[in-house]
Amino acid sequence: MVNDALPPPEDVPALELVGLTKTFNGTRAADGVTLSVPRGSLLGLVGPNGAGKTTSISMAVGLLRPDSGTARVLGVDMWSDPVAAKRLLGVLPDGLSLPERLTGGELLTYWGGLRGLGRDLVRERAEELLRVLELDGADRRGVLVAEYSTGMRKKIGLATALLHAPRVLVLDEPYEAVDPVSARVLTAILRRFTDGGGTVVVSSHVMALVERLADRVAIIARGRMLADGTLDEVRGPDTALEDTFVRLVGARGIGEEELSWLSS
Amino acid sequence: MAVVLIRLKLALMRRSFTGMRVLGLVLALPGVIATWYFTLFVPDPGIRSDLFALVFAVWAVGWALGPTVANGAGTLRSQYFALLPMDRRRTGALLLVTAFVDVGPALTLVAAAAPVWHGATLSAGAAVVAVPAALLLWISLISLSRLVFRALGAAMHSRLGVEIASVQWGLILALIFFGWMAVQPALAATLELREHGLGEGAAGAVLAALPTSWPVHAVDAAGAGAWGPALGWLAASALTALVLASVTAVLLAPRVGAHGVRRRGRPLGARPLSRPARGLLPDTPLGAVVGKELRQWWRDPWRGLEVRASLWAGLFIGLLSWWSGAFSFLAPFSGVICAFIMVLATANMYGHDGTALWQAVVGQGPGTARADVRGRQIAIWLLSAPVSLALSALFIVFTGEHWTWPYVSTGLAAVFGVGSGLSLLFSVVALSPGVDPQLRVDANDSGDNQVQVWLSLAALPVLTTPAVLAAVFLGLAGAPWAALPVGAANGLLGAWWLGRVAHRRLADRLPETFTRIRYGREVALRSVPERGSLLDRLERTAISGNEETRPQGS
Repeated sequence: MVNDALPPPEDVPALELVGLTKTFNGTRAADGVTLSVPRGSLLGLVGPNGAGKTTSISMAVGLLRPDSGTARVLGVDMWSDPVAAKRLLGVLPDGLSLPERLTGGELLTYWGGLRGLGRDLVRERAEELLRVLELDGADRRGVLVAEYSTGMRKKIGLATALLHAPRVLVLDEPYEAVDPVSARVLTAILRRFTDGGGTVVVSSHVMALVERLADRVAIIARGRMLADGTLDEVRGPDTALEDTFVRLVGARGIGEEELSWLSS
Repeated sequence: MAVVLIRLKLALMRRSFTGMRVLGLVLALPGVIATWYFTLFVPDPGIRSDLFALVFAVWAVGWALGPTVANGAGTLRSQYFALLPMDRRRTGALLLVTAFVDVGPALTLVAAAAPVWHGATLSAGAAVVAVPAALLLWISLISLSRLVFRALGAAMHSRLGVEIASVQWGLILALIFFGWMAVQPALAATLELREHGLGEGAAGAVLAALPTSWPVHAVDAAGAGAWGPALGWLAASALTALVLASVTAVLLAPRVGAHGVRRRGRPLGARPLSRPARGLLPDTPLGAVVGKELRQWWRDPWRGLEVRASLWAGLFIGLLSWWSGAFSFLAPFSGVICAFIMVLATANMYGHDGTALWQAVVGQGPGTARADVRGRQIAIWLLSAPVSLALSALFIVFTGEHWTWPYVSTGLAAVFGVGSGLSLLFSVVALSPGVDPQLRVDANDSGDNQVQVWLSLAALPVLTTPAVLAAVFLGLAGAPWAALPVGAANGLLGAWWLGRVAHRRLADRLPETFTRIRYGREVALRSVPERGSLLDRLERTAISGNEETRPQGS
């Protein structure tokens, strides 16, 4: 089930970030971030801590109003037509609160209701999502979201992002704190999503994960987009994405004498 | 280690000289002046020790309640130190030591030193005894303060604890409400006290028996040359200080368990998806919000504390006015007062939910903001209207003041309507985030709402004026029931209009409202025009006026 909005022409990118800029207390967290994500692709957005990943994603999904620039979801402008753009979008933010005193099932029922999906459809999808993400046991025991582990919170967050069958998924650090078994399930879900024509943007700072998972990569540092393209385009002559990343972002080596006390 | 923690605390204090600390100073300074005024200007030593019993009991009450009533997290939160390779109790003890480093404790030490002067007027020996006595009193007072504060925090982890905390809060609110009745007698009593002390009554005996009076007894005994009793009282004071400090150190130790109420079994009203209940609420965004809100109000200890405290306050106000005799006609209105307090308590709902607002932002449909605001209004009505009504009905039946029925009904209709609109409007425009819900520990970790409280105190009476005027004039005209439709219309109109202003503002400024919670004061101020509309100015006032607590609890 996909939203019944008019399908945009094939050449319109799934997600476009156009010159997104944001300054916090004199620090430029995002500086003209521009990115185009073709439909059906799985893009890994990588960058060091504090590079502007979350800030850029927040502006792209409508959580943070940019100082300048805009974002488009399948051609729909996020900041001039937010309701239509958000209908196409599924979002998993990192580290934010949820209605903490609901069980997983109640949370999905509420979320589906708020999006006006209809009770029976919500129940059907929510049950399936909880089962696939292995949260059904917790739901039967009546475990509240407040009592979930970090990995479980990620999974229920992902379920909320998927519930309305969006066309584009934007996931901030979806693999963080998720156990290896669940990570495989998550990867399988994302692959199925892109196979069906959906588009995924995943932020991470784990290069190996992005290399294994994504077909496109964008590298961001100090609020600027340093590279973006297919994995091979971005990697170029380097053997591993990590080398490219270090080359672009700049690495600080450790001298012989530094931290020598650690091995004493 | 203690020195390191004290330095850390001083560094944090330098960066956050808060309004609440100023308020603490404003309250503590007169206390110091009053204590020393009695010490220096009451010539009779017997009356002076009587007065010390009273004064130090008041200091103890102030220290026990002050930090809890004040909003804002403690400067050094024990969770920061959970990972230190140090015994948890030792961490607790060190944190207790840092509690003594602040302006309030310093002023308290000045007040606690008054018995030294008192001792010096008696004899040199008494003055010597007074020095440890004063220090012990000081340690007891500050420890007691941290003890009550942390005990309330610990109470947030069990349902019974939340209920006990709610009863305490309710009593505090009721006493604040009734405080004005005590002002005149208290002033008269102060003058009387200077002349005659506490006298032989029961109050004097009780005050003299309190542990806060024991250090003074030690000084008095030393002054009389009775060294046995003097050392006995001193030992008792030392024991009190030791017990208070040890219990507090244990409570201050970092908790390593899960957050929130501990439960066994499924929470009330929760059914697994595989066995769905028949939906009583409509299958719309509005129904979804009402369902979520009712569950959150019922299950979240921080929300529960606010609603329950309002109910207990209503009950205590009813009982106090009933017993007072002169004000017993007020008892039937306890439901209306309860509704009024509930408005004050619920005027920061979006602050309460913290960053969970992201869901309304990314799930924004054509009517999401409207459903969210209206759903919350309906949930408050469903929760509080039956209880307030029952409270008033109960007191009308008990007191037999049946003439109050029309006035109480009019008042309830008006206050509930206007109040629910007002609390949502303030929740949107004047929201102030606390520690994010998943990270909360202490009883006052939810956001500061002093701006909302003061504004509601002024706005609610103004906006219910039509109902009040109708009740007064139609009552005088002998047709009090005719005021009920006016009250109902006043309430409905208030609920509709204020709610509408609230959801339109929220819909227009969803990302900005989220930014206010997620990115804090400085970033939020940039998104509100300096010379904007009335709502903009209100928002700026709330952003600057409320205490800032970052979602991470730092």
